[in-house]
Amino acid sequence: MEIDKIEMHGVLPRVFSGRNDMKSEIWNREVTMERGRSYLVSAESGTGKSSLCSYLYGFRNDYSGRITFSNTDIATLNIMQWCELRSRHIAYLPQEMRLFPELTAMENVELKNRLTRFHSTGNIKQMFDRLGIADKSDQPVAQLSIGQQQRVAIIRALCQPFDFILLDEPVSHLDETNNRLAAALVTEEAKRQGAGIIATSVGNNVMITVDKEYKL
Amino acid sequence: MNDNNTTASNRLLWKLLRKHVSAGQMTGFSVASLIGLVIVLLALQFYSDIRPLFSSDDSFMKQDYIVLTKTVSSLGSIVGASTEFSQNEIDELAGQPWVRKVGRFSTPQYRIYGSLTFGNRSLRTYLFYESVPDEFIDELPDDWGFDPDEGRVPIIVSRDYLALYNFGFAATRNMPKISENMVGMVPVQLMLSGNGRSRTVEGRIAGFSNRLNTIIVPDSFMQWSNGQFGSGEERLPSRLIVEVSSPGDKAITEYTTAHGYEIAGDKADSGKASYMLNLMTGIIVTIGGIISLLAFFVLILSINLLMQKNSRKLQDLLMLGYTPAQVSAPYVKMVLSVNSAVLVLACIVMLVCRSLYLPALSSLGITGGSVIVPIVAAIVIMGAITAGSVYAIRRKTLSMWRG
Repeated sequence: MEIDKIEMHGVLPRVFSGRNDMKSEIWNREVTMERGRSYLVSAESGTGKSSLCSYLYGFRNDYSGRITFSNTDIATLNIMQWCELRSRHIAYLPQEMRLFPELTAMENVELKNRLTRFHSTGNIKQMFDRLGIADKSDQPVAQLSIGQQQRVAIIRALCQPFDFILLDEPVSHLDETNNRLAAALVTEEAKRQGAGIIATSVGNNVMITVDKEYKL
Repeated sequence: MNDNNTTASNRLLWKLLRKHVSAGQMTGFSVASLIGLVIVLLALQFYSDIRPLFSSDDSFMKQDYIVLTKTVSSLGSIVGASTEFSQNEIDELAGQPWVRKVGRFSTPQYRIYGSLTFGNRSLRTYLFYESVPDEFIDELPDDWGFDPDEGRVPIIVSRDYLALYNFGFAATRNMPKISENMVGMVPVQLMLSGNGRSRTVEGRIAGFSNRLNTIIVPDSFMQWSNGQFGSGEERLPSRLIVEVSSPGDKAITEYTTAHGYEIAGDKADSGKASYMLNLMTGIIVTIGGIISLLAFFVLILSINLLMQKNSRKLQDLLMLGYTPAQVSAPYVKMVLSVNSAVLVLACIVMLVCRSLYLPALSSLGITGGSVIVPIVAAIVIMGAITAGSVYAIRRKTLSMWRG
């Protein structure tokens, strides 16, 4: 199922239900995000930023309202359809990264790439190189710094075809140089695939050109 | 390329998910299920091997018949009371409501000298045989009957005789033991003499009976031989074969006691032994089954624990787009390989044990029952354990879908 646009119709996390004082530009609103464009969702802590990502990635559904992918209500999708979406249509970089500490950086990336068969090993090595962690590829992730881990996670997220890429605080642990390198890599890959970017941030914004910014 | 990819990704998955696999728990399960399975297998195999000894099934004779004789008492033999059934007695018996058919045992009116030869040893003895009408024999052995030109006589022998030969005679005389299968190949020479004539005919043991405690030849042969070598006078039978409507009928015992008849070859004892065999097998199979069931619970608990410990990883894999089936595949494979190994091992252990006890049974004329039924039972048990575990793995994986 290809996703041309993501629409949210009056979506509100259940924990917020009954609250009318919300000044969110996303919760309880009509929101449309289109493929090929870039969005930044800036938020303060506790406003439901990670909830938004988990709804769009299908591993939580504790919300009211309706979310549609190309007019299909995502509440109707079954497990197999979600698996297909996750490996072919939506890339996701979780805030907590969710790498496997006992595997090496390269194995972590390969675990995703072998599922999607998207990049050649050469491509992956190139990405490691571009983000400055080529020398870390054979080290167990547990031995990497948080900033290095974040870059491994970004590479892993790019190892699939996608219509949208969902980046939950992608650069929270990166300095400006690495932020710029990562942003360039993501933007380039998204552009190549004609995909949309949805990034969240609580402060350290990823350095991408944003078409629209929402305050959560 | 794709296959390589799949194998490599499977290897990575296993590298991730094998963590927390408890060798102790797996060994515990394997040993327990091996023991359970071996017990079930051995009990069923032993049952299947030894069953013919206790079976009241007789491939040749109809089930619902009894053999009647007159009680021989010491007083009776002194005063010369007849052990033969008179025509009146036979008619009265035939008139009883529980009797369907009465047949007479015909006896030879001449002398028989039999010899059994194998190798260069032989066994010679005076013999005695009887015949009953063919209609009392349920399944006639091949070539049952007699043609004077060919001169070959098929014989049905009591299974006890074979045991007697194997245990008593062969053992003390250094003669080879014979199995039921071999016995048909042993030539039996019958020298018939009487009425001033004699002739040798060839006999062949065509089958065994558990219920007829005698040697049976075809009725046609008996009539022919009595005509040739007998005195010609009609003799009254001392044994009767009676087809009854229901063998357990009380009226039968009442009637026979009242008339001083004895029911020969009463299978009551064998029935008890057979019942005990069934009961013991049932108990042992149940014990083995319970052990297998407990092993199954150990496996389920172990898998649940393992998956719980690895739940974060399993969820992360699902987050990457792996399907629940792909994620659970390593555990399914683990269970499949452990269970197949246990199954194969259990079958091997059973076959080894069987090869140890079977020689001891062969002197009873037992050649061994089918190994198919016990092995199928083991496959069914292991299949059920495997299916249950795979189901538990799948369910556990699905429960992790929503973090």
